[in-house]
Amino acid sequence: MSLNALAPRPRSQPDAPSRAPRRRLQPVTGTPVRRKPKLAYALIAVAGALAIGAVQIGLSLAITQDSFTLASLSSEQHELDLRTNALQEDLTGLSSPQSLATGAAALGMVVAGSPAYLRLSDGAIFGQGTGAVGASTVDPNGAGAVSNALLNDVPVNASTEDDATPDGTADGTAEQSAQELPPAITDGLPSPTTR
Amino acid sequence: MTTRATRTPRRRTVVALAVILAILAAFVVRLVDIQVVKADEHVAQSLEFISKGTAIPGQRGSIVDADGAVLAESVNVYDAQLSPQVIRLLEEDDKNPPALPWAEASTRIAEIMGLDAEKLRADVAAALAANPDSQYLPLVKGLSTEKYIQLRDLKVSSYLTMKPREVRVYPNGAVAGNLLGYIDGSGEAQAGVEKMDEKCLAPTDGEESYRTGKNGVVIPGSESRVDAVDGGAVQLTINSDLQWYMQQMIAEEAQTQGAKGGTVTVVEVATGKIRAAAEWPTMDPNDLDASSSDTWGSKLFTYPFEPGSTFKPVTAAAIMENAGVTMTSPTVAASSKEKFANGAVINDAFVHPTFQYTLAGALIDSSNVALSKFGTMVSPDVRYDYLQRFGVGTRTVEFPDETSGLLHPTSEWDNQSLYTTTFGQYFTVTAPQLAGAYQAIANGGEKIGLSLIESCTTPDGTVVTPEAAAHEQIIKPETAADLTRMLENVAVQGGNAERIEVPGYRVTSKTGTAQIPDGNGGYKAGVYYTSMVGFAPVDDPQYVVVVTLDEPTRVTSSAATASAFQKAMTQTMKTYRVMPSSTPMDALLPKFE
Repeated sequence: MSLNALAPRPRSQPDAPSRAPRRRLQPVTGTPVRRKPKLAYALIAVAGALAIGAVQIGLSLAITQDSFTLASLSSEQHELDLRTNALQEDLTGLSSPQSLATGAAALGMVVAGSPAYLRLSDGAIFGQGTGAVGASTVDPNGAGAVSNALLNDVPVNASTEDDATPDGTADGTAEQSAQELPPAITDGLPSPTTR
Repeated sequence: MTTRATRTPRRRTVVALAVILAILAAFVVRLVDIQVVKADEHVAQSLEFISKGTAIPGQRGSIVDADGAVLAESVNVYDAQLSPQVIRLLEEDDKNPPALPWAEASTRIAEIMGLDAEKLRADVAAALAANPDSQYLPLVKGLSTEKYIQLRDLKVSSYLTMKPREVRVYPNGAVAGNLLGYIDGSGEAQAGVEKMDEKCLAPTDGEESYRTGKNGVVIPGSESRVDAVDGGAVQLTINSDLQWYMQQMIAEEAQTQGAKGGTVTVVEVATGKIRAAAEWPTMDPNDLDASSSDTWGSKLFTYPFEPGSTFKPVTAAAIMENAGVTMTSPTVAASSKEKFANGAVINDAFVHPTFQYTLAGALIDSSNVALSKFGTMVSPDVRYDYLQRFGVGTRTVEFPDETSGLLHPTSEWDNQSLYTTTFGQYFTVTAPQLAGAYQAIANGGEKIGLSLIESCTTPDGTVVTPEAAAHEQIIKPETAADLTRMLENVAVQGGNAERIEVPGYRVTSKTGTAQIPDGNGGYKAGVYYTSMVGFAPVDDPQYVVVVTLDEPTRVTSSAATASAFQKAMTQTMKTYRVMPSSTPMDALLPKFE
């Protein structure tokens, strides 16, 4: 290889006139009048960006606020659950049949024998209709008393804080029942409409 | 051209390249092994190092009765403890004194917990004297929620901590105690419905997990929480008010009769649902130690006895359907003690001359001799089949440790038991099985499997009802009607007629007196396991009642159960507002010819 091979070839300078018709480029003759950018677009873009930002802040504020509300509501819920439990615990045992039966026995109530039914529509009596004898078929305070360890600590019918009922003594409860008489009968005995 | 000089470096390069490639390949293999093949294993291993989790306990479900009254529930109690060290540090901090000084706080704490304030302060002082950094001084255990709230409101949580602990509470005490069962100290159900429906009641614990970095710092965003799922609520078919009455009543009756124990079972005829299953002696699951451990289970379901005469109607059903016997014909001649051709000797409970007994008469007088003669009109296999149909040998509700009773195959029946099986001996049943047999008679011959569990309500409110009890027509409706009529005659013409009368209601009844094995192959002398079963009202049977007494001593015969049966039946009619009978009884059936 010779260095000649690398020598630049003389540029062929075509004749200007011969290429003139094919020329497309024009010399710059002057700067075109630049149109004034519209301010509105800029404003819209900026405002849009700001709006997006604002909405985002608003949303995240709302979410944060919601999580605060959620936290406060769930703590309130927890508190109320605790109160419910506490109140239910007060009732535990007192709601038992034993408690009811001893309370009723203290009031002088008895578990009677066979029932009888009166049909209001025609006054028909079903069953023997013999009155209850004074004796109860069971004695909730007797030797057969069904135990309930939950009632051992709490005297039956004991008053809770805001319950004014004195403990199940006959006098106390009798006094109360005297205060709460059944509603007075004003329109005669309730009876079926007859035609 | 390759010369020796050029070859050597190239070979060297090739060798070096090969070595490098081999090592690289080894690394690639190892990398794939670590990253792909065993990836899960390694990830799990790494998580083990950095993951921490705490279990969130779920709450065990409650048990309620047929009306929704709570029979068993889980509640939280609180165990309080103090940190004397923190009390000391707070007291010594002069710059920043506590809002509630210890002197005052201790008084308030003692007041709420029901302790002596002086002693509390002395205890803390003693703990501090022994160890100034003492962090643990146990106080009262099992505080109620109300006290917990009061103590929390003192705002002294820096040294007073109260750990919640789940305990099981049975609000109705011993009412249905034997049915409910109990939970042992480690929270395992040991008996009763607690054990029977563990699947529904048991909670699924949740978990709170997170990953920690260096020094145990929680990595943000790694926390995950799986909430606990509480157990479901089990509803029983039991009516707790009726159950209470039955327990109260049977306890009184058993003691009056000098018996060792007693049971009452009430079953709804139309559904087979057990409405009461009472027994005495009983236990209060709130306070197990107050009762002896042999009462911790349910005798009702686990104690089998020879039913005796209460199973005579089953023999009657077999011969009425297979030997053409009716209520009044044919008759058999029977005296009070007879020796049969095969050598068997059968006695009646009372002495009487030879009567020409009708089937009705044999039931009314409960004549073992007459029943032996009637019963052998069909083959033992037929009677075996009828005993099986009426539920002998089949468990009723799959109660924990429930016994199926014992029914020997006919091949094991000997000369004596060929006859004794006609009047309820040589096989055993439980009280619920006996109730089930009479449910079929009361229900026109259609036996409905007994049930004790109504449903399971999962925490999300789904109600899951157990598979419907099996219905099976085991005898013809006409046979059931005849049996009912004969059983009403037993109630009216039998020896206990006056004692079991429920005014206004037509009742059926049959007594049973079973001998009790003495454990040495013989029977105890002079004491019996007595029972009485019946249903009412006859014109539209609604409830079956079974009463049993274990070894009554005042009256040793089945008459001992009469008063308890009468009370149980009366209360059942009353509880369910069953209308008194409106049609009069048919003509009395003749006992003899």
